[in-house]
Amino acid sequence: MCFLPRREREASIYKSLLQIDLKDYIVSAEPPSPSQGLVQPYVQTSGTMGVTCVSQMPVAEGKSVQQTVEILTRKLELLGAEKQGTFCVDCETYHTAASTMGNQGQAGKLMYVMHNSEYPLSCFALFENGPCLIADANFDVLMVKLKGFFQNAKANKIESRGTRYQYCDFLVKVGTVTMGPSARGISVEVEYCPCVVANDCWNLLMEFMQSFMGNHTPGIPSVFGNKHDSIYSPGDTMAQYMELFNKIRKQQQVPVAGIR
Amino acid sequence: MAEGVLSPGVNLEAFSQAIAAIQALRSSVTRVFDCLKDGMRNKETLEGREKSFVSCFQESLHSVSRDLSELERLSNLVGKPSENHPLHNSGLLSLDPVQDKTPLYSQLLQAYKWSNKLQYHAGLASGLLNQQSLKRSANQMGVSAKRRPKAQPTTLVLPPQYVDDVISRIDRMFPEMSIHLSRPNGTSAMLLVTLGKVLKVIVVMRSLFIDRTIVKGYNEDVHTEDGKVDIWSKSNYQVFQKVTDHATTALLHYQLPQMPDVVVRSFMTWLRSYIKLFQAPCQRCGKFLQDGLPPTWRDFRTLEAFHDTCRQ
Repeated sequence: MCFLPRREREASIYKSLLQIDLKDYIVSAEPPSPSQGLVQPYVQTSGTMGVTCVSQMPVAEGKSVQQTVEILTRKLELLGAEKQGTFCVDCETYHTAASTMGNQGQAGKLMYVMHNSEYPLSCFALFENGPCLIADANFDVLMVKLKGFFQNAKANKIESRGTRYQYCDFLVKVGTVTMGPSARGISVEVEYCPCVVANDCWNLLMEFMQSFMGNHTPGIPSVFGNKHDSIYSPGDTMAQYMELFNKIRKQQQVPVAGIR
Repeated sequence: MAEGVLSPGVNLEAFSQAIAAIQALRSSVTRVFDCLKDGMRNKETLEGREKSFVSCFQESLHSVSRDLSELERLSNLVGKPSENHPLHNSGLLSLDPVQDKTPLYSQLLQAYKWSNKLQYHAGLASGLLNQQSLKRSANQMGVSAKRRPKAQPTTLVLPPQYVDDVISRIDRMFPEMSIHLSRPNGTSAMLLVTLGKVLKVIVVMRSLFIDRTIVKGYNEDVHTEDGKVDIWSKSNYQVFQKVTDHATTALLHYQLPQMPDVVVRSFMTWLRSYIKLFQAPCQRCGKFLQDGLPPTWRDFRTLEAFHDTCRQ
């Protein structure tokens, strides 16, 4: 599996992106065999991360998305947070193809395939309310092979890009959510790295978010609710991003949104 | 300024006379040696030469003794100007007229004040430290100058079986705490304590004394690449670095040389209070975070949570 320790991870992001291309080429040259262990079930992953809360920051009244992001990052910098490069989370939507549906009346299920620059060698596949699959990055190639079963809704591709900040043991990622050419909203991801049990540090996390998000601090994420004492995993973060992206897709396009 | 220093015990008139007397004394002494150097020259007869030399020598010696007694008399009048100055002779530096160029005197005063203060504080500190001796084993309590007794203290030669028993009893005492004991290097035990899903602690023991402790995160690796317990590297997270510091303080706090098992038990009881490291707000300010850190301090007696700066 592809979880690297944080330090190695950062150094290897760009290097590994190159390697992925190479691997992709090899995989597409010959049909992927299931015995290679290309896809592993999510429960077997050993990768852990700190407890994370992903939320949406509404665009300030009379301001553009860009300006609101700047206000937010300035607050973080005043707090003492240090800039640490950039991040990107993207999400593609796949429809289950009509031919595979047994019952014509049943609505097609949507599957989301996501990538996170924090885990450059991994690919996440999620169903809404369903299981989360963490695979190697060349899972994308597999999806091309499975064209008959899953069809890519290209227009629905959505992503969040922005800056990564560190403050003590917190990681904050403020990103602009874009869909096609237009900026649709702002995502704020806050991770408290030392803690692995979501419910243990929710109060602490909330207090930290209040310090720079003010009254836009979100409520407890729904993934926390069914975690109890289990260990928080990167898949939980991706599920939160999926929920956020779905929410933003349904929203009307922000009228003042500037094209980035 | 000169007047301020010299008066009232000093007679300036006598002072100048004394200087003149010194000059007179010096010239008369010179004359004695001149006379000795010239010897018995320039006289025709041996007798005449001897006679004149002796009288000349006698005269010069007389004048020396006269000048000397004169100087002694004057020196009594002059008095001792620097006697009542707190810095004694160095106080005379204040008479230096070129204050601005060579601020020796003010620097001297400053240094004197500092050294006085230092001595005072060192005295206080040594008094306090003697009250709370940080030596942890019984045999070292004696005077440090004495040589160490040859026999090892009994508390350091406990059988490994006994240590195992004590540790496993503590392990059973706290269900949320699991203790794994290993002996990678000889008889000294090394404990890997996992506290809930919050943190891991590496405890290095010498018999039943705790020598070193490192706190790391639950998701951090406590082993080196070759699979041994990593007792040197510190945690990547600031919060656990802080807890490591506090745990080291606790090692020095809990000490009872006669009953080392009680010490280990107290330390583990204290350590267990970190199960709520991320859940307990500070008992003083009521907040969770201060400078990005949760309340990392646990009171040794009440086990209440405080921020490092909020504790008394």
